[in-house]
Amino acid sequence: MSDEVYSQLMKELSEGKYVFTGELEPEKAGDVEEPIKAARELVGLVTACNVTDNPQSFAYVSSLAAAYKIQLETGMECIYQLRCADRNRSALLSDILGAGVLGLKNILALTGDHVALGDTPDAKPVYDLDSTTLIALIRRVVDEGKDLAGNEIHNPPKLHVGAAAAPGAAVLKAEIAKVKRKIKVGAEFIQTQVVYKTEVLDRFFKELGKVDVPILVGIFPAKTYAQADFFDKYVAGVDVPPDYLQHMKETKAIKDKEKRKEEVDRVNIEFFTEFLEHLKDTPAAGCHIMAVGYPRIIPALKKVME
Amino acid sequence: MIAQEQKPIEEILGYLEGKQKVVVMGCGGCATFYHTGDKKAVRDMGERLRKEGKEVTEIVLPLGISACEIDMSSKFLEKKRKAVENADALLMMSCGDGAQVIADYIEKRIGATVAVVPANDALGLVGGGPKKFKETCQMCGQCELGKTVGICPLTACGKGLMNGPCGGVREDGKCEVDPEKDCAWVKIYERMEKLGELDKFTEMRDPHAWSRAKRPRLFEIEEPVKPVSAILGSLPSYLTLFTGPKYEEEE
Repeated sequence: MSDEVYSQLMKELSEGKYVFTGELEPEKAGDVEEPIKAARELVGLVTACNVTDNPQSFAYVSSLAAAYKIQLETGMECIYQLRCADRNRSALLSDILGAGVLGLKNILALTGDHVALGDTPDAKPVYDLDSTTLIALIRRVVDEGKDLAGNEIHNPPKLHVGAAAAPGAAVLKAEIAKVKRKIKVGAEFIQTQVVYKTEVLDRFFKELGKVDVPILVGIFPAKTYAQADFFDKYVAGVDVPPDYLQHMKETKAIKDKEKRKEEVDRVNIEFFTEFLEHLKDTPAAGCHIMAVGYPRIIPALKKVME
Repeated sequence: MIAQEQKPIEEILGYLEGKQKVVVMGCGGCATFYHTGDKKAVRDMGERLRKEGKEVTEIVLPLGISACEIDMSSKFLEKKRKAVENADALLMMSCGDGAQVIADYIEKRIGATVAVVPANDALGLVGGGPKKFKETCQMCGQCELGKTVGICPLTACGKGLMNGPCGGVREDGKCEVDPEKDCAWVKIYERMEKLGELDKFTEMRDPHAWSRAKRPRLFEIEEPVKPVSAILGSLPSYLTLFTGPKYEEEE
């Protein structure tokens, strides 16, 4: 793996700067106006934004097309999410090369939720590669100018590849071994699944031990109680503390919209100030703020880390 | 064995709409074990179709005679050759393999073209029993068990990952797709741990080579088995069935 840096994200991470990343979600639509609007609101607040690829296996605008348009129109650097669920290794390679052509610089390599859990459950699940072998493919393309079959690639793209990690994984030792495997094959940065509990984070870092790649911890300040509740109930490996959940629930009773917004912000700032203070004592290189459409909360979070 | 279940009768009747003369054929292999093509299933189906006003001929294959083994099953088909030649449809109470092998024989050797209709849905190659069965092999053509301590991740993992587990493992080590099923990669991890081979876990396994599964796969052997002599020659060994310990299935 070369030490060359192609993206702002990797530049800041390699300089040891504390990095914030955000998240943008293309929709089931014929345009990307919403994520572009959201990206504009995040410019200056985060270094780069993930552009999700069919999250929870709901089929939306291609993350490749969306990331390209967002980067072009807003200047926000994108972390192009790429899942193995929907594409075989040929299609993945095509999209990796396409990403290079379109000026994208970062890919987050994901296995992807099973298609049976999404909005098109009769679709044929692919999973020809998994997150590990996708990382290996990207590295092979970038570093050696070859695909997995050994075919030469003319003028290979210059891309960075990241991996996901699940600190709250039910079987943590297997997850840790998998994260190490992904680092071994060439992941250059890690973004974690959402974490709410500091003890979950501490256990993860302790079990992982020292690694050479920067880790951005995923957080999700919920804009509504429903969002927090969804994470608690339906997202594997994410536990939301009952106190936070309760405080968010109480905001529902506030009739006045503006006052409710203020109270939601207050609950989040209080909770995440404590969380981020704790984060300072961990090896985390930054924070991946996954809350979509909640940019107003970010300045307060960044202030904690200053 | 090929697990299977009978299709809803409405679907079967739909395929048989407008077909008056129907041959119902069973299978003495897997379909007999799953009661989807044994003697009783064939008789019941015959009766049901007669109630619909159809003229039915039944062909039952005894246990051990699979529809897909054409050298044996064709003998039973030939016994009802007239009915087959005149049939509007043949309802096949086997897996899709049996159905297509029989259809092929009818077309090429009997010289009749009969609509062959499936009565069953095949649900995979499974093992276990006598009541509960599990799919563990998908006959991919390039066995990976040597890399995964004897658990096939292509089949046992809901996503067929060569490098799991995915991020969807549930609290109790069950699968993201189905809470009834174990996460194959947690099982692989645990077995590697017991064997002291966890270093294998952190090694990347290459993506599976699907080139061995180019469909349809054709296969040939030089010396076909002689069924009758094979059965007779094995008879003494069957004694083990009566002398071996009783198998108690786990709940």
